[in-house]
Amino acid sequence: MLAIQVLINALVLGCLYACIAIGFSLVWGVLNVINLIHGSFIVLGAYLAWGAYNSLGLSPWYALLIAAPAFFVFGYLLQRLLLNRVITAPVLVTLTLTFGLDLILNNAMIYYFKADYRKLILNPPTGSISIFDVVVPVDRLIATASALALTFLLYLLLRRSKVGRAIVAVRLDRDAAVLMGVDVKSIYATAFGLGAALAGCAGVLMALIFPISPLTSSAYLGKAFVVCVLGGLGSVSGALAGGLLLALVEGVGSVYLGPAHAVTLSFVLLIIFLVVRPQGLLGRKGFE
Amino acid sequence: MFHPRLAVSAFSASLLLAAAGLGATSSVASAQDVIRFGAPLPITGPLAPEAVKQQQGYDLWAEQANKAGGIDVGGKKYKVEIVYSDYQSNTPRSVQTTEQMITQDKVNFMFGPFGSGAAKAASTIAEKYKVPMLAATASSSQVYDQNYKYLFGTFTPNDTLTTPLTQLVKAKAADVKKVAILARNDLFPLAIAQEMEKSAKANGLEVVYFEKYAINTLDHSATLSQIKSLNPQWVFVTGYTNDLLLIRKQMVDQQMKANVVTMIAGPAYQEFIESAGQSAENISSASWWHPAEQYNGKDIFGTTANFVKLFKDKYKLEPDYAHASAAVCGALFQMAIEKAGSLDRDKVRDELAKMDVVTFWGPVKFGANGQINSLEPPVFQIQAGKPVVLFPDAIKQGDFKLGVN
Repeated sequence: MLAIQVLINALVLGCLYACIAIGFSLVWGVLNVINLIHGSFIVLGAYLAWGAYNSLGLSPWYALLIAAPAFFVFGYLLQRLLLNRVITAPVLVTLTLTFGLDLILNNAMIYYFKADYRKLILNPPTGSISIFDVVVPVDRLIATASALALTFLLYLLLRRSKVGRAIVAVRLDRDAAVLMGVDVKSIYATAFGLGAALAGCAGVLMALIFPISPLTSSAYLGKAFVVCVLGGLGSVSGALAGGLLLALVEGVGSVYLGPAHAVTLSFVLLIIFLVVRPQGLLGRKGFE
Repeated sequence: MFHPRLAVSAFSASLLLAAAGLGATSSVASAQDVIRFGAPLPITGPLAPEAVKQQQGYDLWAEQANKAGGIDVGGKKYKVEIVYSDYQSNTPRSVQTTEQMITQDKVNFMFGPFGSGAAKAASTIAEKYKVPMLAATASSSQVYDQNYKYLFGTFTPNDTLTTPLTQLVKAKAADVKKVAILARNDLFPLAIAQEMEKSAKANGLEVVYFEKYAINTLDHSATLSQIKSLNPQWVFVTGYTNDLLLIRKQMVDQQMKANVVTMIAGPAYQEFIESAGQSAENISSASWWHPAEQYNGKDIFGTTANFVKLFKDKYKLEPDYAHASAAVCGALFQMAIEKAGSLDRDKVRDELAKMDVVTFWGPVKFGANGQINSLEPPVFQIQAGKPVVLFPDAIKQGDFKLGVN
C-alpha cells in the first residue's frame, strides 16, 4: 500500500512541479533567457491569492483570473522595456539582468510582506479523499487539474493560434521569422508575458499547498531549473515529463534512502542528464 | 532624458552625504557617555524571521534603559547604543562582522548571533579579544563545551526540553509506545532530535523512525506516508516555522493521526498558531520561556507581566521566548555593568560569571562553562488557539490533552 501511496503522491506532485516549470521553460526555450525572476513571480502570485482571499474573500479560482492578465502585462512590459535591450547580448548579460531584477522584486517583497511565513487557509477546508488506505488531498487534486488545464491551454495556444505559431517560429529560426514578417520584439515580449502569467498562476495554485514567504522563491526556481533540464527546454510535454520524473525520484528516494538524500538525488539525476542526454527527455537536439 | 554625467555627480554627492553622515554617527559614538553593544543578526536570508525577534528584544531593552536615563556606571549615566550588522544567514559572515564590530566599530560588549551554530563560531572572536558575549539563542552543549571565559548563554541545554516532555507524555498517555522522529538537518533541530531519541529510549519507548530532511525541502508527502505506515503514537518533528507549517499541513492532507504530536521550535510563535489554524490544536512543544510565567525580577523589566505589557505596547504582539531571551541579555549586561561600576570588560565578565539573580526571564545563574543552569523550561500545548503551559506545576495552566487529528 505504501508503494501505491508514494506513486500517487509523486503523480500529483509531478504535475505541480510541471506547473512551476512550464513558464520558465517557455522563456528559456524561446528567448534563450534564463529567467531568474521566475521564482519571485511565483511567490508574488501566491501573495496575490492570499491577499485576494483574506481581504476580499475571493477564492483562488477568481485570483487565477486576476493573476493571468496582470502578470502577462507585467511580464510583457518588463521584456519590452528592459530585456529586449539586451536580448541579443551573450546569455550572461540577460542572466545578470534577471538576477538583478529578482533581487529588487524579492527584497521589495521582504520589505512589504516581511520575511514571516503566511498560509492560505481555505474555510471550509477542502479535506482529502481516501480510497482503501490511499489518501489524496483535494486541494492538491484541484491544483493538479488546474495545472494540467493551464498546460493544455498553453499547448493549444502554441499549436493553434497565430501568436503561438509565431512564437514557435521565432524559437526555431529567429532570422527566418523576421524575413516572414514576424515582429520578433513583440513576440519576445508576448512569450515573456506568457511565462510570467504562468508563473503567477502557478503561485496562486502553490498558495493552496505550500506556506508563502519571499524566501521560498529560490526553492521554486531550483525546482523549475531541474524540471527543465530533465524534460527538455521549451517543450510543454517535456515540462510535464520532467516534473513527473523529478517527483518520482524524490518520493522513492526519500522512502528508501531517507528524506535528507531526496534533494541530493535529484541533483545527481540532473548531472546524469546533463552528461548523457543534455536535450532532456522530450527536447530536441540543436534548439537554441 | 538620462544624463550620465548628472547621474555620476548625483551618485558622488550621495556618497559624500553618506560619508558625512557616517562621520556624524562615529563622533556621537566616540563621546564618553555611550555604551555600544554589537549585535550581529541574520536580518536577511532564511533566518530573517528569527532575527526580527532578537532585534525587537534588544530594541525594547535599549529603549527602557535609555528612558530610565541610561546605565549607571559608578554614578555616571551612559546611554545604550546597539550596533546591528546583517550577516545574511551566512555563518562565516557572522564571524567576520563580529570581528569588525570589535576592532572597527569599537563596541564595548557583544550579543551573540542567532542560533547555536553561528554563536559557536562567533564566540571564538569574542574570546580572542576578551569581549564578554551574551548569546540569546544558543542551547546546544557543543557551544559551551569550549569552556570559554567570555561567553555566556541564556538557553539551558536541549535535554532540559525533551526530558520533561517525555516524562509528561509517559505519565499522561500510557499507550504511547512508538515514537517517530523527523528532524531538519541543521545544528539545533538535529541536536534536539538526538536528545529526544535518547530520552525516548531512556523512558522505555521504541523509536520506530529517525530521519533527517534537507534544508529547503518543499514536499514531505513521501516521508509522511512512510511514517504513517509505521503507525507511531507519538510524532516528533523539529525544524523552523516554515518547515513545521509545511509538515503539519501535509500531515493533515495525509489524514495522519497520533496521540501526541510534538513540534520544536515554532508552536510558541504566534505566527505558527495563526498560520496553522485549527491544525495547531493539541500540538505539544517546549521552550525556554513563556509569557504566563510569574517571576518577580530584579532587572529593569521587573515582573514577567510588566515585560509582556511593555512588549505588547511597543509591538502590538505577544512576546515569545526568542524576544524575551534577547531582552534579558540586555538587562543582564546592564546589571553586570552597574554592579561592576565600570566598563572594564574583565570586571563586567566577572560580574556575569558570579551572577545569581531572579529576572523576568527566571532565575539566572551561569555554570562554569557559561551556560545558564538555573532555569526550568516550560512544556506547553496549543489548546483553543493558545499556548497553555503544562509544566512546571508552579505555572501550570491546564492539563495535557491527547489526540491530534
